[in-house]
Amino acid sequence: MSAPAAAPVLSARAVVRARRRAARRRFVADFRAQRAGVAGVAILVVFIGLALLAPVLFGSDQLQVTKATGGTLQPPDGSFPLGTDETGRSVLALVVWGARVSLLVGVAATVISMAIGTLVGIASGHFGSWLGALLERLTDWFLVIPFLPLAIVLATVLGSSLLNVIIVIGVTSWPGTARLVRAQTLSVEARPYLERARVLGGGHWHQMSRHVLPNVMPLVLANTTLTVAIAILSETTLSFLGLGDPFRVSWGSMLDNAFAAGAISAGAWWYLLPPGVCVVIVVLAFTLVGRALENVLDPRSREG
Amino acid sequence: MTLIATDVPSPSPEDDRGRQRRRRGGLAGFAVRRLLTGIGTMAFVLVFNFFLFRLLPGDPIALYTRGRNTDREQIAALRRALNKPIGEQFVNYLKNPFSSGVDSTQFSRPVWDVIGDYVWPTLVLLGTATVLSAVIGIAIGIKGGWRRGSTFDRTSTAATLTLYAMPEFWLGMVLLILFSTGVGVFPGVFPSGGTLTPGLDPWSVDGILDQAWHLCLPATTLTLAYLAEYALVMRSSLVDELGQDYLMTARAKGLMDRLVRRRHAVPNALLPTITLVFLNIGFVVSGAITVETVFSWPGLGLLSYQAIRGPDVPLLQAIFLLFSLSVVAANLVADVVVAAVDPRVRT
Amino acid sequence: MVLAAAALMLGPLVVDAQSSVPAKAKKVTFTVGIKQDIDSLNPFTGIVASAYEMYQLNYETLTDYSVKDFSAKPALAESWDTSADGLTWTYHLRAGLKWSDGQPLTARDVAYTFNRVRKGKYEQTNFGNYVAAMTSVEAPDDRTVVIKVSKPTPIMLHLYVYILPEHIWKDIDEKKVTDYTNEPTGAGIVGSGPFLVTEHKKGQFVRLRANPMYWGGRPKVDELVFRIFNNEDSLAQALRRGEIDFADDLGSNVFKSLKNAPGVTTFPAKSSGFDEIAMNTGAALDDGTPIGDGHPALKDKRVRVAIAHAVDTKTLVDRVFGGFATAGTSIIPSLYQDLHYDPGSSAYTFDPAEADRLLDAAGYKKAANGIRTMPNGRPLRFRLFGRSNSQNSQQTVQFVQGWLKDIGIDVRSKIVSEDSLTEIIGQGNFDLFEWGWVVEPDPNYQLSTFTCANRSYKDAGTVYANLSDSFYCNKAYDALFTRQSQQVDVAARAETVKAMQKMLYEDAPYVVTAYYDDLEAYRSDRFTGFQAQPSPHGSLLFQYGTHSYRTIRPVTKAAGPKAAQSPRSGLVVGGVIGGAAVLGGLVFLGLRGRRRPRSEVE
Repeated sequence: MSAPAAAPVLSARAVVRARRRAARRRFVADFRAQRAGVAGVAILVVFIGLALLAPVLFGSDQLQVTKATGGTLQPPDGSFPLGTDETGRSVLALVVWGARVSLLVGVAATVISMAIGTLVGIASGHFGSWLGALLERLTDWFLVIPFLPLAIVLATVLGSSLLNVIIVIGVTSWPGTARLVRAQTLSVEARPYLERARVLGGGHWHQMSRHVLPNVMPLVLANTTLTVAIAILSETTLSFLGLGDPFRVSWGSMLDNAFAAGAISAGAWWYLLPPGVCVVIVVLAFTLVGRALENVLDPRSREG
Repeated sequence: MTLIATDVPSPSPEDDRGRQRRRRGGLAGFAVRRLLTGIGTMAFVLVFNFFLFRLLPGDPIALYTRGRNTDREQIAALRRALNKPIGEQFVNYLKNPFSSGVDSTQFSRPVWDVIGDYVWPTLVLLGTATVLSAVIGIAIGIKGGWRRGSTFDRTSTAATLTLYAMPEFWLGMVLLILFSTGVGVFPGVFPSGGTLTPGLDPWSVDGILDQAWHLCLPATTLTLAYLAEYALVMRSSLVDELGQDYLMTARAKGLMDRLVRRRHAVPNALLPTITLVFLNIGFVVSGAITVETVFSWPGLGLLSYQAIRGPDVPLLQAIFLLFSLSVVAANLVADVVVAAVDPRVRT
Repeated sequence: MVLAAAALMLGPLVVDAQSSVPAKAKKVTFTVGIKQDIDSLNPFTGIVASAYEMYQLNYETLTDYSVKDFSAKPALAESWDTSADGLTWTYHLRAGLKWSDGQPLTARDVAYTFNRVRKGKYEQTNFGNYVAAMTSVEAPDDRTVVIKVSKPTPIMLHLYVYILPEHIWKDIDEKKVTDYTNEPTGAGIVGSGPFLVTEHKKGQFVRLRANPMYWGGRPKVDELVFRIFNNEDSLAQALRRGEIDFADDLGSNVFKSLKNAPGVTTFPAKSSGFDEIAMNTGAALDDGTPIGDGHPALKDKRVRVAIAHAVDTKTLVDRVFGGFATAGTSIIPSLYQDLHYDPGSSAYTFDPAEADRLLDAAGYKKAANGIRTMPNGRPLRFRLFGRSNSQNSQQTVQFVQGWLKDIGIDVRSKIVSEDSLTEIIGQGNFDLFEWGWVVEPDPNYQLSTFTCANRSYKDAGTVYANLSDSFYCNKAYDALFTRQSQQVDVAARAETVKAMQKMLYEDAPYVVTAYYDDLEAYRSDRFTGFQAQPSPHGSLLFQYGTHSYRTIRPVTKAAGPKAAQSPRSGLVVGGVIGGAAVLGGLVFLGLRGRRRPRSEVE
């Protein structure tokens, strides 16, 4: 399923490196051919730029309730292009600042999830003994527990803070990755050169880090972008349920506040629509990139 | 929302065929093996559930007695009931995980008693949404997959990907503004929440119509949220199926295109999607929590939301247990049923 | 599950021939939308406000609170007298009282109820304070109840214990009562109040019918329905569309959106609740042993007063409560005019400069980073806790954090559940927190939350929370507390109560931020005759007593029965048939594809 061809690896590292460079070039070229994926990347660049520039565009004063200048749930006008929230803050400023938390949570939670998933997946695929079986069972167990109820319970236990939201999403979303990586590990380990490495006395660590991991990585990468999309949606849901960090503006916490402040009855569409639309666009962008990566890395599913 | 979308182990035909070469067991043997695994998973869920909730901070009894006239002796009795040694608590819990002995803090009633009242509305909502989303999703997937690259395919893929990216509670709020509050040209004709207008007999003609009326918006929201994934999976498995040799053969034999689709491709491609429908129970449950909240639908999802906001820990614990166990059970049933239908997956 | 859904979807198809809605009985139904489910219909079990509304509708009490000013007023007892020493109280019941099942309601039912509460552990949870001083309750004849108390107590004027029918409740013994749900059967729960609960669909609604046996005469509406809504938007929506007639406990934005709705009148009612920023004035057990890790600077009254000067209660009223609140001062809200202490010109006005001056004078100098330090160098860095289930709490916390920063106090805010916060407070592990109380007409309970004896206590080596959450302890205050608890003379007691509030205001264990309004709205095109308690600005429903329910009446005869659903039935039928047709078509197509077994194919 993965990119590198199954030809035996030569001992000279230079050959390997050259081959990987070529593979990278091919990959970039292939990705460029995926129009939807390129569009996704463009959208993401815009949003990441906005998130980074938030403090420049809107001073952090604009998030302080004591410094708010607008009226309560004021409709859009010249000074507030997207209106105000229930405490008189600019919705536009909140949406831009919200991108920071939503993207940060998405990426950080994914890193945790990928780290755990890859580790457990490789280990359970590599060790055929009781350890592998145990890890496989553990993966299956966590795969079965419904995600949101588990995340809710964990978030309730840990309390609401940004770090905890990241941890909760990270530690609840790894089993899918682990399963994927395990399958890939098994197929890599069945290849002859791994047999050779074992015969030559390569330790577990050597086998896993030098041979299995590099072969599994492309798959993990494609999976990563999809996981970021899911992590952002998860953050939105958890924050909407009041389990996010109440002092950090995220798209989910905005929706929670809008719902609680009665934005639906007040007809405050300017408060309700922007955060939701941003979530849809960013999640869609990550999904498009993820699908494009899958197409590039797995020619079987490539579409005409 | 598509929270566990990529986690779902959708059995791709290639994998299954690989396994088939290695080993093929009888259905009974397979069912027993899956049952044992299922029981193991349930045991894990039970133990996990017990210890998870021991970690919670808080003094539920002090909160319960705040604003009430209780003397210290009464409070001490309450505490004795709650604060038994952990070993004893665990043994009691294992004896009967469904009666923790601690009442819901919001309802002052045994938790399972409370939950019982909320099961039915959830089953109705999720059942309706699951059936509709599966049927519509599969239909869209078949049409798109068969005519890959057509206008319909491109439009439906874009639409389903967008739905897939949408937080379903947000979709619900938008539908609520448009069709219940009524904005601009949109008629606010649907009720804002609940399952039944009080005063109507739920089993009378009016009552049944009224319930169907109340069901429309929340069921539409969940249907749209779920169908995206079914359409995408159905489409891609049909595309896979179309690449198989036997279909080429069928076409070469001169069978009509429509016949090929109906008799060969679709039935085979349906299996992964149907499996997914069953495996998706966990994801379906997640959607219910937020959507029931938005629509004040008095089911387990709304109850979960109330339990979170309390937080009503005993209730939360029981709901978590119920959700987890139903997902384990649904997966088990799905595995066995699929294996009965299709011997390739018996491993 | 799937079958059930299909049945619900297809069910109407079978019977859709009779799509016209049959004419409803001409009953006048008053529908109230509430946000809180009734936790239990058993008065010994329930704790939420909506449940108490059911109890007082269903069961009368000996005395009532007047609608004008909460003064004692006859209910089941038409009069009462006190012995000279104030230790014997005699209540004279009305003649001809009956339970809704036709049984006579006598003094024996009253004595049974009080004695049950006195002797039952479980029964005391909700009503213990009413019977605490009672030494005997007897019924010498059918219309006389004699209660003896160990010391004079003003509570005897307001015995708000729901009198239960002995012939029903005698079968529910002390063991059964804990699980007894008191769900209605048949003609409804047997009671003596103006309305009787006839149906309870958990999580959805409670229905009550007018009680023709009610001593005050049959109410003017035939039926009450309390419909439960999970969020304000659907509540407001239902009122706007006429699905309900009264909405209560609305948020300020939703409330404002209803102002221009046709047929709807909005009413910001003064309520008996307040919110506060509480301070850890030196956490200790009831015996004086210090506990917890509260910041020592908050033991200094000058710091607390400075904080009071730094909190802009007016801005909180405007921004957090949308203008629907009154800036707070003392711990008895201004709603209770006779008891409320108004600091007047000595109030702590919002004045950051004055706060700075006070802190400078007290020796808390600003360090280089702008944060003040104690003379020993410890910075004024306080933890401020807010509550996760309250949006208002989280907003208030953000405001307070900003204002205290301006006077050189660094605040670290944390949002926790009320459950966790109770534990944190009980252990004394806090500096500041935001919470609130709802104050009863009798101030005793509220005042008791500041007594030394109600600080946390230790039992078997573990520290447990009690009522005090500021750990305020003042011998002079305690003495006044004992005095007011024995003053039967209403005016004299009010003076004591005001002196206690003044003491608390000056020592500032709390900064009372707001007396918030209960935002109510109703269909004034349909119903009229509401009474505000206290008049004229208090709540229209959810009162102490059932005043409005007894006097509301339809505006015109025709407006009584609602035809909420009928115009839509055609649409519903169409929608359902359409949906079912699509579903059926798709299923049919799916089946056609699968009709032949796969083995035939190749």
